[in-house]
Amino acid sequence: VTITRHEGRFGALASTIPKAVVERTYRARVEELWELWTTKDGFESWWGPEGFRAEVRTLDARVGGALHYDMIADAPEAIEVMNQMGRPISHEARARFSELRPYERLAVTEVIDFLPGVTPYESTMVVEFFPSGDHVRMVVTLQPMHDEEFTRMSRLGVTSQMTKLDTRFRA
Amino acid sequence: MHLDIFQTLADPTRRQIVEVLRGGEHAVNDIVDSVAIDQSGVSRHLRILHECGFVAVRPKGPRRLYSLRPEPFQELDAWITGYRRIWEARLDRFGEALRQRQKRRARPRKEGAK
Repeated sequence: VTITRHEGRFGALASTIPKAVVERTYRARVEELWELWTTKDGFESWWGPEGFRAEVRTLDARVGGALHYDMIADAPEAIEVMNQMGRPISHEARARFSELRPYERLAVTEVIDFLPGVTPYESTMVVEFFPSGDHVRMVVTLQPMHDEEFTRMSRLGVTSQMTKLDTRFRA
Repeated sequence: MHLDIFQTLADPTRRQIVEVLRGGEHAVNDIVDSVAIDQSGVSRHLRILHECGFVAVRPKGPRRLYSLRPEPFQELDAWITGYRRIWEARLDRFGEALRQRQKRRARPRKEGAK
């Protein structure tokens, strides 16, 4: 009986670990969106997250190609959180393009091998592009990482996002 | 050692057990039939799932019946909501980066101009 409720919450739950789907529609050509994922300049211009900037070390846009970047806390509150957690303000993330079908679909798989006591595992996000007229719908499907620190970082993300919403509604 | 919800679900056998319990209340033997390990293994994983708050257990005659509890799933739901918000912000920036590039391309020779 309880389970019916869970299914309602998570929708079609292929595996027990829930997925998150985030999507947006942009007025652009699909090639422009593709560039933001598959070039150094493009990727660095938006990846973040809030309070962090990405510096790409290697971006090899081929199937199996590396996507290595440093995630650097650069906003004061992000730096403070990293300090509180006793973590360096810069962290090297190692991922690869596990799928790449130009202008249609790509997948980025990140190796999570830095959690003490946790067997290394991989986390994959899938990005799909659906062009229509002068718009492109981009759908990102995520599998969560299981990392307490990341959870704390997402709270920071939540907080900054909330602040933004607040400002928007007050205006 | 206390496992958090993600560590609890990180084990494939425990995920299988949770999948079986999504179909409703089950006794250990029913679960053993559905997963590829023996009864002592299933019992050990059920104990961990119970300790971590994933399953409830109640006696029925000589048997013990296991079922899922909603709390950890609600916690997962809350977590995923936070994760989704990070991505909402990220996709805002994606859109902004896209606009900047379009502007630069439309006026390649007037970079300083507003």
